Amino acid sequence: MTSLAQRPLAPTQSRQFTRPILAAIGVAAVASVAFSIPLLWGALIGLALFAGLALADISRATIDAIVLASVGAAAAWWFDSVLDGRSAAIELLISLRAGLGWLVVGATVGAILVLRRPTVNPVAVPVTAVSAYLATALMSASGASVGVLADLEARQLREGILQVLGAPFHLVIGLSVVAVALAIVFGYLAQSAAVPGVVGSALFTLVAYNLVGFSVAEIVAETSRVGDLAREFWPPQWTWPKTIGSEPTNVIIEPMIETLQIAVIGATVGCLLAIPLAFFASRPTTPTEPTYVAARWILSVLRTIPDLFWAALFASAVGFGALAGALAMIMFSLVIMAKLFSETIDSIDAGPLEAARTSGARYTQVIQYGAFPQVLPTYVAYALYIFELNIRASVVIGVVGAGGIGRLLDEQRTFFQWDRVMAIVIVIFAAVIVIELFSIWVRRRLL
Amino acid sequence: MIRFTNASVVYPGGLKALSGVDLTIEDGEFVVIVGLSGAGKSTLLRSVNGLVPVTGSVTVNGAEVVGASKSEIRAIRTDIGMIFQTFNLVGRATVMANVLMGRLSMVPRWRSMLGLWPAEDRELALQALERVGIVEKAYVRASDLSGGQQQRVGIARALAQDPKIILADEPVASLDPVTSHMVMRDLQRINRELGITTIINLHFLDLARAYGKRLIGLRDGQVVYDGDIADVNDDDFREIYGRAITPDDLLEGAAT
Amino acid sequence: MNRPIAPTAPRVIRWVVTTAIVVPFVWAALGLDVSLDRLVEAPGAIWSRVASMFPPDWGDISEILGKVLESVNVAWVGTIIGATLSLPLGYLAATNISPRWVTGPVRGLLSAIRAFPELVLAIMFIPAFGLGPFAATLAIGLHSIGTLGKLTSEVLEGTDAGPVEAIASAGGTKLQQLRFGVSPQAMPNIIAYWLYRFEINIRASAVLGVIGAGGVGDLLIGRLRFREWEKAGAVLIITVAVVLIIDFASSAIRRRIITGHSGTGRVSKALSLLVRPRAT
Repeated sequence: MTSLAQRPLAPTQSRQFTRPILAAIGVAAVASVAFSIPLLWGALIGLALFAGLALADISRATIDAIVLASVGAAAAWWFDSVLDGRSAAIELLISLRAGLGWLVVGATVGAILVLRRPTVNPVAVPVTAVSAYLATALMSASGASVGVLADLEARQLREGILQVLGAPFHLVIGLSVVAVALAIVFGYLAQSAAVPGVVGSALFTLVAYNLVGFSVAEIVAETSRVGDLAREFWPPQWTWPKTIGSEPTNVIIEPMIETLQIAVIGATVGCLLAIPLAFFASRPTTPTEPTYVAARWILSVLRTIPDLFWAALFASAVGFGALAGALAMIMFSLVIMAKLFSETIDSIDAGPLEAARTSGARYTQVIQYGAFPQVLPTYVAYALYIFELNIRASVVIGVVGAGGIGRLLDEQRTFFQWDRVMAIVIVIFAAVIVIELFSIWVRRRLL
Repeated sequence: MIRFTNASVVYPGGLKALSGVDLTIEDGEFVVIVGLSGAGKSTLLRSVNGLVPVTGSVTVNGAEVVGASKSEIRAIRTDIGMIFQTFNLVGRATVMANVLMGRLSMVPRWRSMLGLWPAEDRELALQALERVGIVEKAYVRASDLSGGQQQRVGIARALAQDPKIILADEPVASLDPVTSHMVMRDLQRINRELGITTIINLHFLDLARAYGKRLIGLRDGQVVYDGDIADVNDDDFREIYGRAITPDDLLEGAAT
Repeated sequence: MNRPIAPTAPRVIRWVVTTAIVVPFVWAALGLDVSLDRLVEAPGAIWSRVASMFPPDWGDISEILGKVLESVNVAWVGTIIGATLSLPLGYLAATNISPRWVTGPVRGLLSAIRAFPELVLAIMFIPAFGLGPFAATLAIGLHSIGTLGKLTSEVLEGTDAGPVEAIASAGGTKLQQLRFGVSPQAMPNIIAYWLYRFEINIRASAVLGVIGAGGVGDLLIGRLRFREWEKAGAVLIITVAVVLIIDFASSAIRRRIITGHSGTGRVSKALSLLVRPRAT
């Protein structure tokens, strides 16, 4: 009989940790609903964490249980006393301070993990600590921002009257700590970011869902009276008096043309200005290392500012009107183009650049003759794409006073003239579709 | 005249590519450099036009490369044409546009910016193409040419500079044997007819023997052989390569 | 040897392209009601506006952080709506998966959705859902369905047909072909697009604040309107900082998801340091 090679063990599956996590959460849930005295529910959350660690075979030592329970109790007491006696709405900064106890709880869990499993990177301690902390801070802040904690009495908090997501506040906090800390622990054991990633995302979704006041029921309710809503919008009103008392005329077309003009200016100037920035921000073509780093940073920072913020800023600087809009669209196009284009330049063939350099060419000549021909077709395709984006973006900048059809849209919606809004939206829709079809046609012929 | 005095190159990573090279290359010479890959052939070539961080002293017709300012380096490079193993052409541009790249340092900035090339530069470019025999392809995209034709465009680009020196870095390494011979013959002819100092890196010994006049052998960044190619024997090659000659070192051997 | 004659076509094309760029530009520049002196004054005006924001007034940092968080929340929920609903639509719009009579209408639907900017959608939602983060979330979610659906279908169309053929030849059903042949190839890229969309949605939700639909835009517009430049500066700086952090983290995660190993950037290195086992 031939001897068989030993079969390898299956790599640690995250699935095996599902049971301990669920068990721990269950313990914490039952405990928290039953008792709302800070020291007690805190200790129970500590014990729930211990239960999770024990079920995953990390630690069964009594000392760990005692430490976790006491740290949990202390954290809950701190949490409660920071929030205690505040009748005003809790602000984010107070949430951040109140959650500090959970930082210690997270650190303790991380420390137990590192002590009991020597292969785990000690970075696990701060990672667990910060994650647990952020989870609780976000949870309590989410309560604060929607005003659940407004006019809160400490008594209410203690008695569990206060509700977040339909559950007592401290229960939500406790569950978040347990879920996040254990997810991180198991992420380390399974050597996978997927477990904490999914758990974290799920918790954040809960927070966000609660905060934005999302309600499926409301969507369903609104859908059922879609007929009433449609009557507000339909039929669209195409003409109305420009000033009170004057004859109704079509006042949509003129601002729509202004929007197109703003988009053309923005795309043209923005795409031109993007060229040097893109070459500076690409490895093969940057003149010096500091230029490269600076260009990259400028791009990253400018990229964070949304189009309408540009419009609002420029409107406040140069006054309301098309100039502010054109400037905003220039910045908008510049940033996107420079980013896309620099990524294209990153992948060019450096040979022609070297050839140009060795013939004694100057920097601009090296770029123009060695690099630019290689990326020209991509540049043209991007420029058309950016023109399309510009049409869509320039429609809305008027809302903050930067000219074009957006101003009209904002005006009519402020006066609840939904039938006029409908007419404007139809015109926008038609313009966007026509431009897009045109752009697709040109791109197909070019490439 | 090119003169190396105790020239060394240490790359930023700490790799010592060239150590203490002393060499003199007279005007109009046709020099072939051989050595294993990594022996410093490319580095030696690139220290002539200041593409590598060289210390010691390298002078090109009296101008010092080491420590030269940006504009001084540009002035030196203007007189040096370079030919590359991978041709380094802009594939999307026409042959003419590629050859005109050799004229970049000679035209005013605004003219190159607008693409308004003076008639005499166009004439020089066309003459360069005629010299390598592919003027009929002047308005074809460079990427549409065969490898041998692309390398001739590369040579024409170097010629368009009206150079005093041509550096060729493994010019035939990406080509088949027949084309390799054609390109080498072109380089030899240009050296004879125009008297341009030509320095070529080669991997294949038989090509070096067939076309070279003076042979420089490099090993571990040092010159281990320097003499007339007619005098070189197999022992010298063994010294340069640190091992016996194999068929891989010969173009004909590698081809079969 | 005969010299060839320089072809004239490239020159003609160059003129056509130049005209196609210059003429609309001149039309637009002349059409806009912008006088030359305002144009000349603009750089100075912008500079003095930026200068007036410094030093920023950090007095209400707590409120600003809360509003930025609200924007992030709106973007997150919007992205989740977009991701969940765009996934099936993406499969329906992919020509290598669905029949032509399905892909056509679905693609039409997706591009119709995309044609409406988030802000326009949000305005249309006001009569039904009122002003607030809820309307903003719906607008962003709906728009994301359009963009993510298109990207998803493109990723699916870019998958290699080989594995699908292998499963089909082993007797796999259509659904098994999708589950084991197509999805494993496509999912990393699709998830990376979700994250990328989240980055974009943060900006979009910040913007929706300007019509009063919650988020940090509300705050910025208010500060600018009441000419509280230093306070506006604080809003701007905090927004930039938070979005920058999210951008860096998100792009590092995206790279990790797509390539299967962490990148060489500083952020990626820092992130991989957090999970690496201790050296033995």
